[in-house]
Amino acid sequence: MEENTKRRVLVIWNDVKELYRITGFLETLWEDWALPVKTMYPINLVLEEAFSNIIFYAFDDQDTHMIGVEFLLETDKLVIIIKDGGKPFDPTAKEDPDTSLSVEERPIGGLGIFLIKKMMDEVHYERVQDKNHLTMTKYLNSEN
Amino acid sequence: MEIKTTMNGNEAVVTLSGRLDTTNYNDFENQTNEWFSNRITHLILDCSDLNYISSSGLRVFLTIQKRMMATGGKFSLFAMQPGIREIFDISGFSAIFSIYPDLESARKG
Repeated sequence: MEENTKRRVLVIWNDVKELYRITGFLETLWEDWALPVKTMYPINLVLEEAFSNIIFYAFDDQDTHMIGVEFLLETDKLVIIIKDGGKPFDPTAKEDPDTSLSVEERPIGGLGIFLIKKMMDEVHYERVQDKNHLTMTKYLNSEN
Repeated sequence: MEIKTTMNGNEAVVTLSGRLDTTNYNDFENQTNEWFSNRITHLILDCSDLNYISSSGLRVFLTIQKRMMATGGKFSLFAMQPGIREIFDISGFSAIFSIYPDLESARKG
């Protein structure tokens, strides 16, 4: 870890209501780390999309599972790593939806992962010791 | 999220305030079923107070659009916030929805 890297971790349960906690956590984080205001919505969005995929698809049982979200602030980028112990699931392997389709042709699903890939600068998946690791990076330069 | 509906014959002007996400898209979806059963021919959505939407919300919007088009009605959105507009642009939704700057142009369009 770089010397100037800041780190904060959020642990959430696989429950839709935890989305409120994500939003609250981000509001505090944005203030504490003085992050650019206009990046809060995109980050909140990608977290919701990634998190929704995990709670709906990663676990076959009705049990409570912990999901870890690690935030790393380096000099010029924000790195978010989501770790869950669910089934192997690589969201980056999904094909992008065809955004040129007409209303009638447009399928209802498939947008979540696509939005993650579009809003973040880098998205990387790894399976590490029975856990899914999804690493998303957003560059924080003047254009962002 | 707050939903306020103003009826004007077969036209409904709906104001959505707050967030539309995985926690509440169901409520919005239930509301839309009510509008459809009231045979609304022009559904106009005031987005000026909508400050967050995720794919769950976008899915409901798409369902509304498909339904209105299939029944010969119209679905218009106006006064979209820039952050929301960006999501619509990225997902290709801007091309398939009728988006206006204000209520008047939404009514005329």
